[in-house]
Amino acid sequence: MRQFSELHLDALTEIFSIGAGRAALSLSEIVGDEVRISVPSVQIINAEDINPVTLSLTDTGRFGAVSQHFSGPFNAEALLLFTEDQALKIISDMMGSQMSNEELAEFEHEAMCELGNIILNACLSSMADILNFVLESSLPDYTVASAEEILHRLKKDSSQPYVLVLHIDLAIEKRHTAGNLVFLLSTSSLTNLVTHLDQFLGNIHEQN
Amino acid sequence: MPDSSIKKLLIVDDSKVSRILIRTHILAQRPEWLITEATCGEDAIALVNTDPPDYCTMDINMPGIQGTDAAAQILLNHPSIKIVIFSANIQETHQARAHSLGSILVAKPVTEKSIALTLDYFKNAQ
Repeated sequence: MRQFSELHLDALTEIFSIGAGRAALSLSEIVGDEVRISVPSVQIINAEDINPVTLSLTDTGRFGAVSQHFSGPFNAEALLLFTEDQALKIISDMMGSQMSNEELAEFEHEAMCELGNIILNACLSSMADILNFVLESSLPDYTVASAEEILHRLKKDSSQPYVLVLHIDLAIEKRHTAGNLVFLLSTSSLTNLVTHLDQFLGNIHEQN
Repeated sequence: MPDSSIKKLLIVDDSKVSRILIRTHILAQRPEWLITEATCGEDAIALVNTDPPDYCTMDINMPGIQGTDAAAQILLNHPSIKIVIFSANIQETHQARAHSLGSILVAKPVTEKSIALTLDYFKNAQ
């Protein structure tokens, strides 16, 4: 953890902002309107220190979680989290019609997988492009769970003790929602990530 | 030889890494240029009023006002400054806004290719 500097976090925020920009472009083509996605902050914390506040899981309702595995120079389990209410609003915007809640619920799984696929792959592909490596991804999966169940899931795997948290602001057609993108990382994956960031930052300094 | 003359460039970006990258790539091509930096639109506007540059690269998503709004304000008082909007946010609305300002939008990441587009714009906009 201590090997992470402000410059590392700045580089990661910038990399993910570029990813968010790519995701916003894809989503804007789907909804036919402007989509704004920004990554106001990136944090790296110990999995055991995660609490409902860190991930904005303070709502008493249920949460929609899109998960995907990434593998390459480092492996990560990625989770995109929104409250289920927000997830349904996003889907309603994506489908662009006056659907009833029952009809929306039918599309929930498929549409959230697609949304997760777009956002997760945009973020990971910008990281792979900029840090110059290749990442493979599994198919996305979508589950609806309580805050407690999600926290349990994030903490249960002791082989992944680090958590990279991106706070994401998403606005479609002026409607604002906020979610979190969470990466679970093993110690060796975090070390590999730092090594790649150092190479990237080192290249900058060498050019200077 | 307008290309080899000394020009002043203002880099506006909240990311230190982006500012370093833009500065490094530009100086590799134009080592004689004088470069200043600002981390938000408000600071950029203040800097331009005290020491107007020839050129400016402007991020969009920053704390405070959006980069495109800062660019519009800068051009209102200093229409001769050539501004490139340099952003990860590459949707049509932002492209259109950049064009309406007489500027162009260049997509991040900061690479040799995106810097070449930026320098071409500065050169041709003279």
